[in-house]
Amino acid sequence: MLQVRDLKVSFGKAEILRGINLDLEIGDTISIVGESGAGKTTLGLSVMGLGEASVSGEVRFRGKDLFKVPEDDLRSMRGKDIAMVFQNVEDALDPLQRVHDQIAEAIHIHQSSSTKDVQTAAKKLLLSVGIKGDKARAYPHQLSGGERQRVIIAMALANDPDVLILDEPTASLDALTKADILRLLRSAMVGRISLVITHDIALAAALTEQMAVLYAGRIVEMGRTAEMVRNARHPYTRGLIRSFPGMTTTQDLQSIPGRMAHGLGGCPFHERCTQRIDICCHETPTLQEIEGRLVACHRGGIVPLLEVRGLSKSFDSCDVLSDIDLTLYEGETLALVGESGSGKSTLSKLIMGLYEPDSGEVILEKQKVHRRDISFYSRVQMIFQNPKESVSHRMNVLDAVLEPLVVHKKGTREERLIRARKALDLVELPTTDDFLERYPHQLSGGEVQRVAIARALALGPKLLIADEPTSALDPSVQAKILKLLMGLQDKMGLAMLFVTHDIALARKVSDRMAVMLKGQIVETRATNEVLSNPENPYTRKLVDCASGRSEQINNLEIFKAADLWS
Amino acid sequence: MHIDPLRDLLHDRLALSGMIILALIGFMAIFAPLLSGCSPDDYTGQIFSPPSADHLLGTDSMGQDIWSRLLFGARTSLLVATAVAFLSSAFSVFIGASSALMGGLYERFWMRAVDAMISIPSIIVMILVAAYLRPSLPLLIILLSAFSWPGGARIIRSQVLSLKERTHVSAARTFGAGWDHILMHHIIPDLAPLITAIMIQEARRAVFMEAGLAFLGVSDPLVISWGKMMQQALAFTYLNVWEWWLLPTGFALSLTLVSLSFLEISLETAMDPRLRKVRLIKDRPRRAD
Repeated sequence: MLQVRDLKVSFGKAEILRGINLDLEIGDTISIVGESGAGKTTLGLSVMGLGEASVSGEVRFRGKDLFKVPEDDLRSMRGKDIAMVFQNVEDALDPLQRVHDQIAEAIHIHQSSSTKDVQTAAKKLLLSVGIKGDKARAYPHQLSGGERQRVIIAMALANDPDVLILDEPTASLDALTKADILRLLRSAMVGRISLVITHDIALAAALTEQMAVLYAGRIVEMGRTAEMVRNARHPYTRGLIRSFPGMTTTQDLQSIPGRMAHGLGGCPFHERCTQRIDICCHETPTLQEIEGRLVACHRGGIVPLLEVRGLSKSFDSCDVLSDIDLTLYEGETLALVGESGSGKSTLSKLIMGLYEPDSGEVILEKQKVHRRDISFYSRVQMIFQNPKESVSHRMNVLDAVLEPLVVHKKGTREERLIRARKALDLVELPTTDDFLERYPHQLSGGEVQRVAIARALALGPKLLIADEPTSALDPSVQAKILKLLMGLQDKMGLAMLFVTHDIALARKVSDRMAVMLKGQIVETRATNEVLSNPENPYTRKLVDCASGRSEQINNLEIFKAADLWS
Repeated sequence: MHIDPLRDLLHDRLALSGMIILALIGFMAIFAPLLSGCSPDDYTGQIFSPPSADHLLGTDSMGQDIWSRLLFGARTSLLVATAVAFLSSAFSVFIGASSALMGGLYERFWMRAVDAMISIPSIIVMILVAAYLRPSLPLLIILLSAFSWPGGARIIRSQVLSLKERTHVSAARTFGAGWDHILMHHIIPDLAPLITAIMIQEARRAVFMEAGLAFLGVSDPLVISWGKMMQQALAFTYLNVWEWWLLPTGFALSLTLVSLSFLEISLETAMDPRLRKVRLIKDRPRRAD
């Protein structure tokens, strides 16, 4: 019914949309999400035929190309067949006219019925959006923001359009009003094609079935809204979701590094992407269907960085790990939780090659790791539990940070010094000579852990395995170290395997969570899902204990640990 | 945790007195030709002369100057001590550390070899070997080293076994470091106090053994040795000469041994309490003394 084909829009030299394709039928609801400046509103306006810009491609509505029909026909279609709810509530209404009259005008333009009929229709329409009595005769400034939004929605619905474009319909509304408007919109969207333009992912999830993520004028990912929110495939989509303060996300907010730039060669997102490869800078990826989702990415969406397949390890006759499968995606934090003795540390040491596995394999960036050499260790690094033990007491700060570079024989001494200072800068430590000459016992626990992190970062790894990195630190230092790690993840796109027994801590840092019990992984899902709805009884017990409800559940069946261990 | 027992030695009276005595004997040994009036092998013209301005401790049965022989005897003692300490501890560190790091068959072989070596009564073997080969100083040094490294190797191995499980070693391994780097940067520095202790212990035993073997007559007849001097002096106890012959020599030997013992004891106390188990092991192979 509504087809957008290779839509390109530019204002002067600035290309805003670079080839958008959409196919929508009656009943389809789609949200267009992205940062400001991505071209969301331009897309809405272009579908309305309102863009004052040079346009190429086509927008077909009922078979007619909107860019080719004469302006008069287009005008008769606007409002009647295609209506838009504009972004700015303040400006969309005429301040000098009563709202009732403005609705009546909208109806009158497209329908040649008598004034009285039009008046009645307007009243009914306003009533249907919840504006009644005196309010209907009020001037816009006499109405609250929510009421004005209702009036605007009524106006858009005035002629029962087939296509409804909603541009940020609930921005600037408080939560309660927003909920009201949402209900109203849901009923208004029935039986139409609706395009919801928003940066509010919660709104998109509540209103639409499909979602398209727009970045610098291109759609980078498109698919079913619920699935995309749960499991983003494009790094940009994940970035958007991570930076959105939803009620279900438990992790701290993380931003996307850099800012959006239009007109970049290659993949539009490559400058901010943490998994870019050479081709990303030269060629623009096309939208391709990958497992029921359209993704524009040379690497096929977020790539698995580390895969562990069937890893087993036993010490003498005691099975510590049996048949572990684990996938860690690029740039994400996977928390490995479980009580002590569940094999968490053994698993991380096996990955690092500190132990030899009995069977199974470790796959790094789609290549099986046979022998751990310099190139492996420059991509994967580890932070240990006790910083004062992981940094030799015979090395001062400088020697400690230089050590990995010395081992890797990287560059001259001067180059190594520069890299070491950079690494110390990254972890927010001073690089004064005085500080560089200090020994671990002259530093606080938090400082030594920072030195340990700087050592790991000096090689520029893609994956950081953090084995209880904060358990030896007090809460305030712990918070600082965690903030630092998350900040580094933002900046460098580090993937992290966060090993901890503290589920409350894991909740704040991880995208996904793997729960270990007796050397097996019993559950791996998104952190918020694991926490809100633990599937495994052991996980439920862990969550209940962590949330401080252990006293209450003492008597419950769940707590019979013996059952779990038998 | 930043403990450097070697630095602590400078603040310990026992260690300081040990070092001063040792330095004095060292001084005597180094400047022996200047301190003595005449060569130790020259015939002075009279035998059994009492102490005089020319001959501080008189002369012996061969008419040689005792003071001069005492000074040159210190050279032999210290030479043997230093050489054995370095040779045998180098062997101890190499075998002990490589066994701990490599493990497997290699480790089992060397540790059984160590057990075997320790169970052999070294004095008898040395007397036998010296009887078949012509006794000489280099041979003595090699024999003494051959019989003293196993104890040290065992101590070093146990210490390296514990050191290599330290987190900072794991951390170095996660940088991709090979065993050479770990040995040089992580293990040897932490072993330094222990190696020093082993060296001092082996030096002390070497001094004692050298004197003892010389006393028994198992030594190069041309080498001046305190042990041999004492044995010769003992033959003339019916004359009064032994006062100037036997006593100063015995005193010099005791002083050397005592100073080394002082250093040993002081180092033990200074070392990390966690390394104190070393002392238990160290006491065991003392049966050779």
